[in-house]
Amino acid sequence: MKIKKLFCIPIAVAAAASVMITSVSAADPYTTYNYDAWWNAVPSQSGYEVIDTVDSRRIGLEALADPSSEFFISETEPTTMSDMKDFFITDDGDIYICDTANNRIIKTDIDFNLLACYKYFPGSTSKHIIVDDQGNETEVDADELKSPYGIFVDEDGVMYIADRDNQRVVKCVEETKTSARILTEYYRPETELYDSQSFYCTKVTVDAAKNVYVICPAVNKGAIMFSDSGSFVGYYGTNRVEVTAEVIRNKLWRKIASEEQIASLTKATPVEYANFDIDKEGFIYTVTEVANVQTDAVKKLNPAGYNILEKTADNNSFGDQISITYNGTTYATRLTDIAISDDKFINILDYTSGRIFQYDERCNQLLIFGFDQEEQRGGFNNPNAIDTYGDKVYILDGRNNDITVFGLTEFGRYVHEAIALHNQGLYEEAYQIWQEVLKRDGGFYMALVGTTKALYNQDNYKDAMEYAKLSFYAKEYDRAFEANRQEMLRNNFTLIVLIVLALIVVWIVIKVLKKKGKIPQKLIATGVGKIADAGKKAAESIVSKAKKGGKK
Amino acid sequence: MLYDMKPWQWVKHVIFHPTEGFEDMRWKKAGSLKIAFFIVFLLFASQVFSSRYGGFAYNTRAYSDVFNIMPILVQSVAYYATWVVSNWSICTLFDGEGNMRRVAIYSAYALVPFIIGNFLSTAISYGLTLDESIWYTAIYQVGLWWSVILMVFGMKACHQYNFTMTIVSMICTVAGMVLILVLLALVMSLFQQVYVFFATIYTEILYRVRS
Repeated sequence: MKIKKLFCIPIAVAAAASVMITSVSAADPYTTYNYDAWWNAVPSQSGYEVIDTVDSRRIGLEALADPSSEFFISETEPTTMSDMKDFFITDDGDIYICDTANNRIIKTDIDFNLLACYKYFPGSTSKHIIVDDQGNETEVDADELKSPYGIFVDEDGVMYIADRDNQRVVKCVEETKTSARILTEYYRPETELYDSQSFYCTKVTVDAAKNVYVICPAVNKGAIMFSDSGSFVGYYGTNRVEVTAEVIRNKLWRKIASEEQIASLTKATPVEYANFDIDKEGFIYTVTEVANVQTDAVKKLNPAGYNILEKTADNNSFGDQISITYNGTTYATRLTDIAISDDKFINILDYTSGRIFQYDERCNQLLIFGFDQEEQRGGFNNPNAIDTYGDKVYILDGRNNDITVFGLTEFGRYVHEAIALHNQGLYEEAYQIWQEVLKRDGGFYMALVGTTKALYNQDNYKDAMEYAKLSFYAKEYDRAFEANRQEMLRNNFTLIVLIVLALIVVWIVIKVLKKKGKIPQKLIATGVGKIADAGKKAAESIVSKAKKGGKK
Repeated sequence: MLYDMKPWQWVKHVIFHPTEGFEDMRWKKAGSLKIAFFIVFLLFASQVFSSRYGGFAYNTRAYSDVFNIMPILVQSVAYYATWVVSNWSICTLFDGEGNMRRVAIYSAYALVPFIIGNFLSTAISYGLTLDESIWYTAIYQVGLWWSVILMVFGMKACHQYNFTMTIVSMICTVAGMVLILVLLALVMSLFQQVYVFFATIYTEILYRVRS
């Protein structure tokens, strides 16, 4: 018995050790990177890790085809989600998923327990006739959705659904577990200002005043804005045209060309934005999905529709900095969705690479995570939407038909804590946390900047200068340098004055002695004369060498 | 006093007496080609110094790791050489009296204030904040314009032109420099292609011989 026990201990230790090793080496299936001061990608620590992957089975969608369940819709109701385009997480932690191909909205709680599945939408006020691009008239099947592309839920639980193929936006509330009653519908605005034939809306958001903002990919004048009652208000937050060589050329041509020629010129039109999110303070953030567009790629709009990031952001480039051509395909950043978390972090989803780029409120690059290998956990095929709840980030994949949940690692938590203090101006409080970040990633840009500012506030100017050099931050370096210089002058004031006075005295003495004719022998003994002699010799040799060269 | 000046003293004389200095030098047939080349080397050195050193806030580029010496070589030595060749060619057509040796010497001597300004401004940028950049700029600009003035009087003395003619000839010289540099670039790319052609033939033959 004793021997057995003794034998067991090393085995237990070994087992524990092996568990520990696996948990330590459970790295991400991709190399985490970040951008340094020169916008080079450098390896970094992962700030987020996958903590959960949720598919239809986890949510329990079998209940939809189970007659005994309260969620029962019909025997033939698909029990898997398919091609989901959007989802929304409310402040209370309810998750609403647009099951686009199955024309339904699935509601779960934050742990993905099924709460409802809205299939029927009674209460449509009118049989609306819609016209598609070919001019064919069809009647809206108003009781059901047809490819719901986008969803927004306000604090009262009222859903706003972009019912794309029905060309309407539906405002509705829950009636039963399987149906929601329509309150208002928003159709194509019947006004000359709206010059597109169709109203294929894809995304919808609502501000605190219940104004409804709708994105139609065919409309490039900005979001279409409706009042609460359903009337068309106008466009909101138009993107600007990206200035390219072609745009400039056309602009010049327009000055001299005839009217027929002008008509044949291509018009410079802005690209529409793909998606938006609204933060706690009511600012609307937009992203533009078109590849390689830098102008207005990400905007933060004030209620007047002006981009305030232009004035407030530290950085204006988003996503990956270079596009990569591999096997004949060019992979460029396509920012498909944006989500503002409660603590003001801006999360941007790149459709091409499946990466999530996280910025702070001043758009400083913080963390990059996720990748596009769909076969692996944490990899995406069609990452369609991103949302946040607390410090977790949720990614909706429309091909894998699942939702991936990312949680902060220790590193990510340090970064978040530090940047929150940093942006409040509490540099000294953030200092210790930045040191923890730097322990794990010595080149983390914001940590270097934060350390610089903290050291400056602690009057440690010398080190502040060093860190400013590391973070390549000329302005901050200059501040520290000025303070350091001033401190140095103040501490050594007497010495400097003495040296200057001594130099003046020596100069006067030499002048006087020179006037008298020669420097007396006594001075040679003190060494001044020796130095003067050596200098004279050196000068003479240089002169003679130069003379030789000159004569040739 | 002019009779017993050493070659390096002529440099000082010329710099501090812009209008007469070059005339004196021409009259005394003074000026050393060796000193001239040394000055051109200093020009190159000062360019390297100002691009690789300086206070961090003034020259952040110096603190990144990429350094290419070729643009600096072109900006100093190549510009100087084309200036000399172009000026000599133009002024030979314009009845200028200077030979190429003189053009080379006088142009080089005229560059000294610019070199000194370059060195000095870079050196003092270690002790200046960005708010005090006026000192940095001032020193650099004083050196530059001093050199320009010296260059004008140098060329005037060298070719025995009047003032207008000097300015016209200098503008033509700059145009000539552009022409020379463009032609050089063209010739170089042509030779590159010829080289590639022969290299391809060589590899082709190698493949056939081996197989």
